[in-house]
Amino acid sequence: MSNTASLLLTLPELILSVGSLALLMVAAFVGDSATRAVTWASAALLGVAALAALFPANGGGLAFDGLYHADAFSAFAKLLIYIAAAVSVVVAPRFFERAAPLRAEYPILILLSSIGMGMMVSAGDMLTLYVGLELQSLAAYVLASFMRRDSRSAEAGLKYFVLGALASGILLYGISLVYGFTGTTLFSGVARAFGDGLSTGELFGLVFVMAGLAFKISAVPFHMWTPDVYEGAPTPVTAFFASAPKVAAMALLVRVAVEAMGPASSAWQQIVIFSALASTILGGVAAIGQTNIKRLLAYSSINNVGFALFGLVAGTAEGVAAVMTYMAVYVAMTLGSFLCVLQMRNAAGEPIETIESLSGLSRTRPALAAAFAMFMFSLAGIPPLFGFWPKFLVFDAVVGVGLWPLAMVGIATSVIGAFYYLKIVKTMYFDEPAPAYAPVTSYTEGTLIAVSALFVSPLGYLAIPALGAASLAAARSLF
Amino acid sequence: MIQTIAFYLFATLVIASAALTIVARNPVHSVLWLILSFFNAAGLMVLVGAEFIAMLLVIVYVGAVAVLFLFVVMMLDIDFAELRAGYAQYLPFGVLLVLVLSAEMIFAVSAWSAGGIALSASVAPVPEGVPNIEALGTLIYTRYLFIFEGAGLVLLVAMIGAIVLTHRTRSGTRPQNVSQQVKRRPQDAVRKIDQPVGQGMDL
Amino acid sequence: MASVAAGYLPILLFLGVALALSTAFVLLPMLVSKATGSSNPYADKLAEYECGFPAFEDSRAQFDVRFYLVAILFIIFDLEAAFLYPWAVSLGAIGFGGWLAMMIFLAELTLGFVYAWKKGALEWE
Repeated sequence: MSNTASLLLTLPELILSVGSLALLMVAAFVGDSATRAVTWASAALLGVAALAALFPANGGGLAFDGLYHADAFSAFAKLLIYIAAAVSVVVAPRFFERAAPLRAEYPILILLSSIGMGMMVSAGDMLTLYVGLELQSLAAYVLASFMRRDSRSAEAGLKYFVLGALASGILLYGISLVYGFTGTTLFSGVARAFGDGLSTGELFGLVFVMAGLAFKISAVPFHMWTPDVYEGAPTPVTAFFASAPKVAAMALLVRVAVEAMGPASSAWQQIVIFSALASTILGGVAAIGQTNIKRLLAYSSINNVGFALFGLVAGTAEGVAAVMTYMAVYVAMTLGSFLCVLQMRNAAGEPIETIESLSGLSRTRPALAAAFAMFMFSLAGIPPLFGFWPKFLVFDAVVGVGLWPLAMVGIATSVIGAFYYLKIVKTMYFDEPAPAYAPVTSYTEGTLIAVSALFVSPLGYLAIPALGAASLAAARSLF
Repeated sequence: MIQTIAFYLFATLVIASAALTIVARNPVHSVLWLILSFFNAAGLMVLVGAEFIAMLLVIVYVGAVAVLFLFVVMMLDIDFAELRAGYAQYLPFGVLLVLVLSAEMIFAVSAWSAGGIALSASVAPVPEGVPNIEALGTLIYTRYLFIFEGAGLVLLVAMIGAIVLTHRTRSGTRPQNVSQQVKRRPQDAVRKIDQPVGQGMDL
Repeated sequence: MASVAAGYLPILLFLGVALALSTAFVLLPMLVSKATGSSNPYADKLAEYECGFPAFEDSRAQFDVRFYLVAILFIIFDLEAAFLYPWAVSLGAIGFGGWLAMMIFLAELTLGFVYAWKKGALEWE
């Protein structure tokens, strides 16, 4: 295939690269007074890129000799990523404005990070995987310490950078082992080599690659950075970290596991089972004692990643479809929760993050309390809400391959997790009211909360046919 | 023969200077030992025929990264004597790390002896009679074009990130404005007057 | 790949000779002065020479963070230049497509350079 045809397939990345370079020039020549325009232009670019991802040229296929896949799986993941990135872009200006006007680099860095995430989910080669991952992470490190005068933000950025660089090193070591022992970095070539039996060297490569990727999805035992980084980073950035890069890393993990290491599934299955169980248990138990809502949501994301991993344990198309459905619903739930956290500010407009301050929210801000409660119930997977459905699909896939004891343990751990979600609901509805939050001034955020609340409400079940078909089509394209 | 001698020379120096990087008391000396170690690693790369990597090591690592390390060491205001006071306290942890690392090395060696490296099956075989820098060039800019441009974006993000995080506009500075200087004409700045005798100056 | 390394034998020998000679030039006078007993170090002689004054402060002054920005920008453009070598060597084989690839790469970083310039990151005071 010629380079021109290949370039057409990478249209989403192309649009975002040209757009972010153009916006960078706007930021350079106009300065921070252009932030609002740059913000909305970035959101629009992400929308256009999502369209380009949904309808690839010539119906998709392989580009650049297999380095890049434009298939249903990457389209599904990119749609989620771009939506999450766009939401974290549009909610940012109001959060940052109290200290100083938001700098125009924020939306641009999110765009550049989105290019990296697009490369990750479309990767057909270890090199695409690595460069995409680095592009995403490097922009994320900068975003974490974006409020450079705030010592917590700087600390978050530094911790994220040091640990992220270590994880990248581990991943790169794994990739070099895989390359050394299979002689190729292409996923298809690695799968062929793994199919002829797994040598010890290849096994070590596999383990290191899995460890590096587990860090990026913050699965236990590589989760330790998550609470600190989520707590320290500015809230819109935390919302971004908890949604878009998680989807990208999860999709990447699924693709590497199935496409490149599919023949060695018995080897990675053990790792994934351990990670899934440990993440759900630790995410559930460690969250109980938290007093900071952002830390709590960090543990909640660890917990949810664990549940999504159960789908990968199955290793079937149904299992992968369940993972993708899980990520779609998870993005709505987690973005909704962080949008609610963004509303938590005292009368002076300073953001507050303690769970105590939520006391009696049902009396001071009934609508916000109702939305927050819905997200919490949904994250806990309590049946009438939509958050139940992906959990059901995941365990259905696990039972489908005969691993029903694992499914039983998984369901038991979700009960532990339910405890702390319900504790927040109890704080909001049954405790004495704390001082009321400042009134809402942004219609954008109100609308976004309403939309995500509707999606996780029982009305979300109306989306099951479309979501199910799309995720199954996405999963089928990997097998 | 001479290659064997050169290999042992470089390899010994790499290991020795890497060890000295860790044990040197003064962090500036550590950086200098690190530079020596990079240099000898470059020598090793030449020995295996990877000239381009050797050149990269010298230009990028010795020329740029080590200089950056030096800046960072000089930028931090750390009392290193105080840091070393905790040496005994962290000794058990250090020993643990040494154990883990040596276990990993044993693993790596056993992994290496477990399976042959099948480079013959690689998708892009090494062409004979072409210097490897040229062989790299023919691949990077054609087959791996997409990743190459992605690498450009990574560098761009690094640039934006460094500026976003460390640059601040200082008040009270008077930077040179070239276009303003060029635009200035003599008639804006110079006035010719026929000064009458005995009258005051008009400024 | 042994032939590649053999091509670098002259420079290795040259470096070896240079190293041996410079070591000799440094060590011989030291040895001679030790052996003849003319070596007589004392505190004032060993102090750093600072225009004849006693040293004011520790030589390890803290650097301004602005040096870091300059160093990072230097590394980035250094890496950019490193990519130019294989490109220049193989330009005949990779044709117009390869030429265009490098131009796009350079454009990406040139826009970054324009950004750095406009932001004033290259200005000192």
